[in-house]
Amino acid sequence: MHIIVCLKQVVAGDRVKIDPHTYSLVRSAESSYINPFDLFALDMAAQLKREHSASITAVTMGPKISEEVLWEALTLGADRAVLLSDKRFAASDTLATSYVLGMGIRKIGAFDLILCGMRTTDGDTGQVGPQLAEELNLPHVSAVEKVENEKGLFRVERISDGFREIIEVSAPALFTVASRTAVRLPGLLDVQDAFNRSSIEYWNLEDLNADAGRVGHLGSGTWVEGLTPTAQKKTCLFIDEDTRQQARMLLSKLIEKNLLS
Amino acid sequence: MARQFAKTELAPIAKEIDEEGRFPWEAVEKMGPLNFFGIQAPRQYGGAETDSISYCLVIEEISRVCASMGLMLAVHNGVVVHPVAQFGNDEQKAKFLSPLVAGEKIGAFCLTEPNAGSDAMAIESTALREEDSYLLNANKIFVTNGGVADIAILFTSVDPGNVKKGFSAILVERGTPGFEVGLLENNCGMRANPVSSIILNDCRVPRTNLLGREGEGFKVAMAALDNGRIGIAAQAVGIAQGALDASLKYAKERIQFRVPLAQHQAIQLMLADMGTMVEAARLLTLNAAHVKDRGGDLSCPSAMAKLFAGRTASKVASMGVQIHGGYGYSKDYPVERYFRDARATEIYEGTNEIQQVVIARELLKRGED
Repeated sequence: MHIIVCLKQVVAGDRVKIDPHTYSLVRSAESSYINPFDLFALDMAAQLKREHSASITAVTMGPKISEEVLWEALTLGADRAVLLSDKRFAASDTLATSYVLGMGIRKIGAFDLILCGMRTTDGDTGQVGPQLAEELNLPHVSAVEKVENEKGLFRVERISDGFREIIEVSAPALFTVASRTAVRLPGLLDVQDAFNRSSIEYWNLEDLNADAGRVGHLGSGTWVEGLTPTAQKKTCLFIDEDTRQQARMLLSKLIEKNLLS
Repeated sequence: MARQFAKTELAPIAKEIDEEGRFPWEAVEKMGPLNFFGIQAPRQYGGAETDSISYCLVIEEISRVCASMGLMLAVHNGVVVHPVAQFGNDEQKAKFLSPLVAGEKIGAFCLTEPNAGSDAMAIESTALREEDSYLLNANKIFVTNGGVADIAILFTSVDPGNVKKGFSAILVERGTPGFEVGLLENNCGMRANPVSSIILNDCRVPRTNLLGREGEGFKVAMAALDNGRIGIAAQAVGIAQGALDASLKYAKERIQFRVPLAQHQAIQLMLADMGTMVEAARLLTLNAAHVKDRGGDLSCPSAMAKLFAGRTASKVASMGVQIHGGYGYSKDYPVERYFRDARATEIYEGTNEIQQVVIARELLKRGED
């Protein structure tokens, strides 16, 4: 089984810097890390690798600095890592990103499964997974918790609106992965192996045979018109009553704010 | 990876285990699968076989959050696993190295005695040769990891009449009749590390437990300590960095004279000096690691790194307490723990003064070229 995992490098929430002209994120090595939701996808891929002797290819689109997340993927079980990097990819929205990822995956070759995180901690659109499935004309299931594979058929479980759905999908397919507990840390041996045995492949627009009109700003269906920070206002309410009264007041405040329904 | 582990597994318990003087088995058990117990050990025995720079980075990141666990790993890797890998024969490596590297067994280094420490040749321990065994008698004190160690490297003499000639390293396992763990030390810092005495009373071990040859003990000890000092230097850098982290955070939060402390120049000057010292100590430490990886003479660079990093840890932690003011003197803030932990790095694995002796000797040896 060949699994492709799509990753994104995100900027730490408390270190977000926005370019005042382009409204895009300014990245640096110290402030960037692997999107935590993508770790769940990587973890599921590593689990399938253990169960089905699969191979894993990690792919990301971004500037050279994004190779950090690919190294991390290699320490966590990826066998191959591809960075789709070209200045012309900059300012891609989710549509253009899905196109670039799709072209990269076409070049990677045959696969059985693509796994993506459900969303990212920075852009937070949740669109790239489904859009990529459309781009590649694949069946897709979101928020998958569990995958079993039998004779080229995936049997997946997802939780939706309080129901556990069990869905059968034929391969190849794309799943976005729900949050999982206890994602494994790599050992030092895994880190050593990743750096000793692996390298990262860099592919640009020409390598992908991609259409320059479908990437970056040109290929984006949406663009950011303006960006202003919003301050979250916190107010503290002190309830100076006896304990019984405090409990009553607290309860009524919670009901009033619709926090108990 | 080490930073992530320290953040998720050690940060939540560092304060509590210091206060309770408790060895955190729940966190220690998770270190084995991450190869923390055999960072540089050969792959053949399950180690990760990293270079010394990676080793320093792991020890630094663990110590930055919990110095007691940094110490546990620095001693286990630096002065137990390393000399067993270097001087052990194949049978010894199979028997002792594999479980040490897997973290199934924890190691200790037993040199110091009530009347011997910096003066290693003053040891009074004895190892009497018997047919297939040594009969050991020893009173070893200030043994790091002593309370939990399963395998100890004991420095003793097979020739009571001539300690220097008979100075030898012998591996001893806990559980051997006559092996007794004494009371835990009530130390000022590093309180989650069970530092104890280890007493051997007519304790018999097979002759095959001899590490290296008889009379080679000093060579084993010095090789272990030259190597171990890099780990302790890395530990000191970690403590200093942790104290700096805590001070930067506090300086931004604490308001005095209507502005955060960080806006007062007096505090900025301290932070600048702290940051510069930490960086200098780190570079000296990584330089020693680099020299080791190149196979160069380690004595001087590792002594310089340990001397400077130990002093830096004490100084930076002390400045950190000063920035915190009254809260720095309280157990409510972590800088107080860093202040206590830092002090030990100027003492163990060779005091500052011993490092100075080593450094001066090496400098003078070089002559006038």
